[in-house]
Amino acid sequence: MSSYILRRIIQTMIMIALVSYVCFFLMSLMPGDPIELMLSSNPKMTTADVERLRELYGLNQPATTRYINWVKTIAHGDLGYSRTYRVPVTEIIGARLLNSFILSLIALIFSLAIAIPLGVFSALRPNSKLDTFVSIFSFTGISVPSFWLGLLLILIFAVKLGWLPAGGTETIDAEFSSSWRYFWDRGLYIILPVLSLSLQQIGRFVRFVRSSMRETLQTDFVRTAKAKGLSMHDVIWKHAFRNALIPVITIIALSISTIFSGALLTETVFAYQGVGKLIYDSIMANDYNVAMVSFIISVSMVLIMSLVADLLYGVIDPRISYS
Amino acid sequence: MKKIFLAAMSLAVLPLLVQAKPTNKELKIGISQEFESLNLLIASTVAAHYMGPLVIRTLNTLDPDAKWYPMLAKQIPTIKNGLAKIVTVDGKKKIVATWEIIDKAKWGDGTDLTCADFQFTLKVGTNNNVSTAERETITLVEKIDFDPKTPRKCIFTYEKAKWDFANLPQFYPLPKHLESEIYEKYKAEPLGYDKNTNYVKNPTNPGLYCGPYVVSEMKLGDHVTMVRNKYFYGPQAKIEKIIFKLIPNTGTLEANLRSGTIDMISNLGLTFDQALALDKKVKAEKLPYDVQFVQSNTYEHIDLNLDNPILKDINVRKALLHAINRDDLVKALFEGKQPPALHFIDPKDPWYTADPKFVKTYRYSKRDADRLLTEAGWKKNDKDGYRYKDGKKLSLSLMSTAGNKTRETVEAYLQEEWKQVGVEITIKNQPGRVFFGETTRKHAFEGMAMYAWASNPENNPRSTQHSKSIPSAKNSYSGQNQPGWVNPKMDAAIDAMDLEFDYNKRLDLAHEMVKYYSEDIPVLPLYYRADISVVPKNLKNFRMSGHQFYETYNAENWSLE
Amino acid sequence: MDHARSMRSMIIEEFFRHKLAVVGLVVIVSLTILALSADLISDWTGIDPNSQNVSARYLEPFTYAEEAADQRENKITEWIKDNPENAKKISAAIVEKQLLNVTVDDALYELVSKNPEEIQKLLKQIDLPEKKSLQTLSKTFSTFHLFGTDEIGRDVAIRLLYGTRVSMGVGVLVALVSALIGFLIGGIAGFYQGIIDTLLMRVTDALLSLPIVPVLIVFAAIDLTKLPGLKSLISGEFESVFKMVILLCLFSWMPVARLVRGSILTLREREFVLAARTLGAKDSTIIFRHLLPNVIATLLVSVTLGVGESILFEAALSFLGLGIMPPTASWGNMLNNAQEVIYKSVWIAILPGLLIWITVVSFNFIGDGLQEAMDPKSVKR
Repeated sequence: MSSYILRRIIQTMIMIALVSYVCFFLMSLMPGDPIELMLSSNPKMTTADVERLRELYGLNQPATTRYINWVKTIAHGDLGYSRTYRVPVTEIIGARLLNSFILSLIALIFSLAIAIPLGVFSALRPNSKLDTFVSIFSFTGISVPSFWLGLLLILIFAVKLGWLPAGGTETIDAEFSSSWRYFWDRGLYIILPVLSLSLQQIGRFVRFVRSSMRETLQTDFVRTAKAKGLSMHDVIWKHAFRNALIPVITIIALSISTIFSGALLTETVFAYQGVGKLIYDSIMANDYNVAMVSFIISVSMVLIMSLVADLLYGVIDPRISYS
Repeated sequence: MKKIFLAAMSLAVLPLLVQAKPTNKELKIGISQEFESLNLLIASTVAAHYMGPLVIRTLNTLDPDAKWYPMLAKQIPTIKNGLAKIVTVDGKKKIVATWEIIDKAKWGDGTDLTCADFQFTLKVGTNNNVSTAERETITLVEKIDFDPKTPRKCIFTYEKAKWDFANLPQFYPLPKHLESEIYEKYKAEPLGYDKNTNYVKNPTNPGLYCGPYVVSEMKLGDHVTMVRNKYFYGPQAKIEKIIFKLIPNTGTLEANLRSGTIDMISNLGLTFDQALALDKKVKAEKLPYDVQFVQSNTYEHIDLNLDNPILKDINVRKALLHAINRDDLVKALFEGKQPPALHFIDPKDPWYTADPKFVKTYRYSKRDADRLLTEAGWKKNDKDGYRYKDGKKLSLSLMSTAGNKTRETVEAYLQEEWKQVGVEITIKNQPGRVFFGETTRKHAFEGMAMYAWASNPENNPRSTQHSKSIPSAKNSYSGQNQPGWVNPKMDAAIDAMDLEFDYNKRLDLAHEMVKYYSEDIPVLPLYYRADISVVPKNLKNFRMSGHQFYETYNAENWSLE
Repeated sequence: MDHARSMRSMIIEEFFRHKLAVVGLVVIVSLTILALSADLISDWTGIDPNSQNVSARYLEPFTYAEEAADQRENKITEWIKDNPENAKKISAAIVEKQLLNVTVDDALYELVSKNPEEIQKLLKQIDLPEKKSLQTLSKTFSTFHLFGTDEIGRDVAIRLLYGTRVSMGVGVLVALVSALIGFLIGGIAGFYQGIIDTLLMRVTDALLSLPIVPVLIVFAAIDLTKLPGLKSLISGEFESVFKMVILLCLFSWMPVARLVRGSILTLREREFVLAARTLGAKDSTIIFRHLLPNVIATLLVSVTLGVGESILFEAALSFLGLGIMPPTASWGNMLNNAQEVIYKSVWIAILPGLLIWITVVSFNFIGDGLQEAMDPKSVKR
């Protein structure tokens, strides 16, 4: 078991290193380096200015050298300096990570709270009206373009009805009489992004819970339990549901891993200050350090969570062993 | 059940979102462009320079009437008023000028603002480890001296004797008493000062600012809050607090305005189409806003690649201009709010002229265009309506930034007009970063490229029209003469301009430049863009500048009553 | 053979019992027909997806746009040049009947300067057979815009149709190509096992672990033509479309590869494969003859589900301004164009999104129908 974990961790590290190099290289292929972008907005920069800045930012070196330098500074615990915001990367990324985490976590909990009961009940009554309805609902949920849904939500709830703010993270500079008031305020801003993010997740989870539950209900041990004369309630919740949850946990673990990148479009539409939007902005502005760090965090999350999911699987299901 | 829930929710939410008329307590301004930390010596985003004058003042600036206006300086030195004189050192002509800082000038923590701060700024700005973008804004000044007994009387020595030596709107002072220690510690490390300056590490320290406001809160990528500066040299600002809120999606700016998240949309916000639509809506629904349009000096034009064999022919260039009706274009697309352009100098610039003695105009006439093209050997083929010469079609590519609605609309309009005289236009748009980062920068467009230049009044067009500014690998593609225009007379005029101290002679030179420009047609002038702000109806003393030194220069006088 | 047919017909029967899948199929088939006949529709209605009319921007749905006076004048001048005889006759008739109070020379010009309805009315009063072509010409003076017009006066309805072509085309192409790549990689990995398998599966896992949206953004932002070999492949008018297809293919074959590998691993131990091998069949023969038919069901399902996913990705990228470049219409870039003016012209923002939604739902329904029809366990009810 421990040797398996060790092997997986080493593999994960190698993967992260490889991916980071590939990303760095790709970004160097993007047209218009930072200095060129600066030049296009400031025609008065001279040849001397250009060369001085290229050297200062190390842009006169080939991509591989720059990558090695970048790794060196990372190794020193320095995440680098954001060219767009002119502050160290750590200054901006922390709060963004927290915001994304809050958004995705609420969306995840909300989705599960809706998806699990829906999935279980529709599995219990296959081909019933409820089942058909749930099935249509989950398919439409999976298929909706989340950014478009976001625009619609803004149009309806912010513009037409005026109930909720159109975008942002919190009311700026408002003084709150209590922390409860503050949470209330954050809550208002987060409702629409959560809705637009959840619909797709609910759709996916419902289908997953339903099929997992159906399968468990058809297994021998559930039949045995039924035969033993246990009450239907006990059969469903004590036996079937617990077992059906195993694959669902994997899915949850995997969706936690997308917390830092999955909300990119939603965050962009709602101008929500999360890390997804930061990734997008930094790529667009050619802000290498920020883009690379956010990238590495996203990739690491996926890799680590899939490792966690695998291990959890082993803990929950004794039939699986890692040797 | 559902209805009750919704009703309850609306009751609970509404009180928070009720939109009140903004008062002098607070003004929330929406911007759609990213800003950075406010060390203006190194800042390069437009948004930072827009906010700049609220918190940091310079010696002088240019007001909306294109007049120079002293801020930290008591008086602007000129040769005439005797505060500046030309001296010759080692056979080189230099200028020595006396800038006297007003007595009340103080940093936000009460420390006096003196020549030492300017001296320090010059030292920081010329350090190779500091990423000053356009060093020339400060290196015009070679050195700054002062007598410790009169710390506010600064003697500036200028490297070259240029007429515009006194224009220092971007020489933002740094507070020596706070920054000096950090600078000394990190000056040898590349970007060391950039990373550790107080503007990054401690942006709410009032001592960093000398404008009517100081920063009280700063969240990059989200908002900046500014409150009154007790120690401001002028009258105390009327509005207590100004907040800049970043809303990057221009589509949701309007929703934010309506829901009261912001009270005003700055010049760095709406697109032109959105502004037109909002203007109509504001008027129809009697909303408490004014959508203001002010003609700016942002000059929208089409660069012609003069190396292109078709465009080399002056007659073709003339015909292209004759064939388009710019008056109708601005009427149809902009409702006349962005006026057609004659040349690179805009009507609000003191150098502007429309005198036919200098400006050669090409009136809208399809017949003239037809005649010129036929003379140039391009014969119309009756089958497809396009012109041909030696079996080659008269076809040109027109490039611009993809996704810019206004430009795409203009392209479509022009394409149709040129089609009528037998010129085929293929539209090839690229994302902004490719278009500006590669295509125009490296002179890599085949035919025509449409974009804009923003400048300021009385600007010598050296970087865009001197033949030495043709971008090439040799000058690291830093020149901006993208058509590749070479005219020795123009070069001479540009060179002479810098050193000409007589206003009238400068005027003559400018008119001469306009003459060459309109004769050679390296560029097709289209229109001057409008600056747009949406302001609350009760905002007083706010006036858009229309040039790159923004209207924030007099924010202390803004008032909401 | 007989057995195979009955199997197939069973699947088809089962599929058609899935009501939602049938609805999906109907939607997709009709959209496909509409998209394929976009050119015909464009010819028939005389509306071109790229023809702009700056005097008719942001029109509401169900409105008419009139052509500008100078354009009409150009058209009538052309017509007179082509039909000098008819022109003379009709002009004479107009003056004779005193329909318009003008000279013979000006009659036709005056006529076309009237509004389109009036022109038709006036023409009705002339009984000359020659008027027919003039009538058709005058019909082009005003165009009906079913879904209104966009920011440069292009017809939204016809652009949506052409957008269907691009968006669905990209979706289908990506799904097919990635199924093929997935099949080859999964097949090779599963068939040969050993080091090849490990290597290929590591790559698959690596790609699966990437945060897909940011990676696509980086790829979309780089200039693929800078890479050698691709320049000749992607250039010209549909450059951005090809780029999109290549990009999405690169990142969507992995799930298919995993699925295929799984089924091949079990299949390769089955008797018929062992038999083929002992008979000395070539590897390629075994893979394509024996293994492919057995995984085709899996492939079919993942193709249909993949189409929906690819459409969503294309739309997302185009929405961010990184996908299909204008003037080529795609649902995503129409949405991108519309988001700025969503308050002014609600329809041009709602329609493309609605189409994306309906299409993706339909593909997903079909995929679900197929899956259930082919799943032996689900033959029940």
